[in-house]
Amino acid sequence: MNKLLSKSLKAFILYAGIVLACSIPAYYFIIDLIWQHELKEHNLIISASVKQNIRNLSLPGEDLARGIQLWNKLQPEKQLKPVDRLQPDSTYNIYRRNQYIPAKGTDRFEGLVTYFEIDGKPYSLTVETNMEESHETIIAIAVITFFFFALLLGGFIYLNRRISRRLWQPFYQSLQKISQFDLNRQQPVMFEKTDIAEFEALNSHLQKLISANIAAYRQQKEFTENASHELQTPLAIVQGKLDLLLQSKPLTDEQSTIIDDTHTALSRVTRINKNLLLLARLENSQFSGKEMIDLGALLEKTLALLHDFAEDRSLAVEKNIPAGVKVMGNKILAEILLTNLLSNAIRHTEKGGTVTVTLSEHTLTIANTGREALRMENLFQRFGTASSHTPGTGLGLAIVQEICRHDGWKAAYSFGQGRHVFNIDFRVWILNSF
Amino acid sequence: MKILIIEDELQLAQNISAYLSDEQYLCEHAATFEQAMEKVTVYDYDCILLDLMLPGGDGFRILEEIKRLNKQDGVIIISARNSYDDKIRGLQTGADDYLAKPFHLPELAARVYSVIRRRNFGNNNVIRQHELKIDLLAKTVTIHDEPVVLTKKEFDLLLYFIGNKNRVISKSALAEHLSGDVADMMDSHSFVYAHIKNLKRKLNEAGGGNYLKTVYGTGYKWEI
Repeated sequence: MNKLLSKSLKAFILYAGIVLACSIPAYYFIIDLIWQHELKEHNLIISASVKQNIRNLSLPGEDLARGIQLWNKLQPEKQLKPVDRLQPDSTYNIYRRNQYIPAKGTDRFEGLVTYFEIDGKPYSLTVETNMEESHETIIAIAVITFFFFALLLGGFIYLNRRISRRLWQPFYQSLQKISQFDLNRQQPVMFEKTDIAEFEALNSHLQKLISANIAAYRQQKEFTENASHELQTPLAIVQGKLDLLLQSKPLTDEQSTIIDDTHTALSRVTRINKNLLLLARLENSQFSGKEMIDLGALLEKTLALLHDFAEDRSLAVEKNIPAGVKVMGNKILAEILLTNLLSNAIRHTEKGGTVTVTLSEHTLTIANTGREALRMENLFQRFGTASSHTPGTGLGLAIVQEICRHDGWKAAYSFGQGRHVFNIDFRVWILNSF
Repeated sequence: MKILIIEDELQLAQNISAYLSDEQYLCEHAATFEQAMEKVTVYDYDCILLDLMLPGGDGFRILEEIKRLNKQDGVIIISARNSYDDKIRGLQTGADDYLAKPFHLPELAARVYSVIRRRNFGNNNVIRQHELKIDLLAKTVTIHDEPVVLTKKEFDLLLYFIGNKNRVISKSALAEHLSGDVADMMDSHSFVYAHIKNLKRKLNEAGGGNYLKTVYGTGYKWEI
């Protein structure tokens, strides 16, 4: 993931790199052009002075020939030669091996060939001047360009850091605040004041959004609690009426079956309602008071309560419950948690299966035999496992999860070697994982 | 036996009254806090069914008043709040029992019966019915003075039936009673059936009369 500022930095650096890279040939051509132009002028001046000086000497023919011979030997870069006829001046640019200092390799020369007459005879004068080789020029320019590029790069990064630290600081602060926000705890987020208009606007909008969210969430939770609560009395009335209806005479078997079926469905509604109310109370943090709970004793008690059910399904219950394991938590909730997990295990194990309960210092593991893994994604969600074919309300594991959250514990499920394994980690986890 | 139903929901009060009223019980009803206070202070009842949320005041204050007057009335709180704090507070203040709404009427009847037995018979709490003798404190049952060994659940069921005699009880109510807090365990119609079958067999084998009857295929009745 890219950071906002490094993204713009990358673009800047790329652009600067391209511009500087393009500047290398441009500089080269311009420098070479100026250089060549100056040398041409230089050659022209020299040739003009040579011509003039030779003419001014007015040497007789033989002396002149000897003089030219000597001249040519002493100054090979300025050759004077007799030619057949006069021609227009020409220039050339060549690379040639250095004859005097071979170690220097090839040198580049700018030359001028000019024609003139001495005493009516045509002569050519060749003037050559050493010029900087193009690859040397290019290397020099490239080195300088790269130096400046490095300078720019360093500057960009440094400035970028400074800017991000100063200018964007309020933004990052807001970001951190939002990431720490937990709807369940319902603590409104307070942003720090900033003098940058955009950030101030962002913060105020965020604040509005969050407060609206908290309000909506609270309303929803209160609604659940109120609704469940309001349902209790009518449910009690219906249940009572059914109990009374069963007393009326005469009653046929058919009518009695209808009453019984209604009773069964009503019991389910009642249980769902009860569990929803419990969840709402958990979420609204209406369970206060923590104490040291003797988990081993509580487990034994719960298992004793469920003993008949396990026996009814001919399940083998393997216990590994050491004494003296204590955890901090709400006792009523811990009892509900154990009951839910154990009754789930007993209810969902096929006849003749095995339920294993293992307690250690920090963890409780309840495993039961099963055929295939449960679908994980919905497991701990409300009504995630609900089905009208099972007597369960589909809320048991959601309640387990919520109790764990309440006391800072952690619930997990896994499947392996033909066993469903539910695991509760009693070490207090920091609540930011939600 | 006089029972006072303190409950603002008329339908619910009528249900309770209709179910409980027979040659044994006489029910009165108070729908508001003031009515309840008046009745409680003036008359004596064997059992008071107290709803905590009443128009005009908090049910806890009625309970406190009963205790302040040093009355011997048994009190069962029936509340829609089903809060553990309420339950603990209620029992600590001196209520005999706590029943969360919604409940089955047979469950209420069984509890009323048990509260009245405890209040009236104290240390000699023995129920006699023909050849059957149930010692509530020792939790033992004898038929023709011969002990019958019952499991805890069977003993529980027996008392439940005694508290609801001559009334039809649905399997649902029995299942709820037997599973209590673990009511989610309802595959338990067969579970109920197994326990009742055992109880019936044990009573018959000990020479008891056939009081426990299956009615209309789905309910049970303790007939006497």
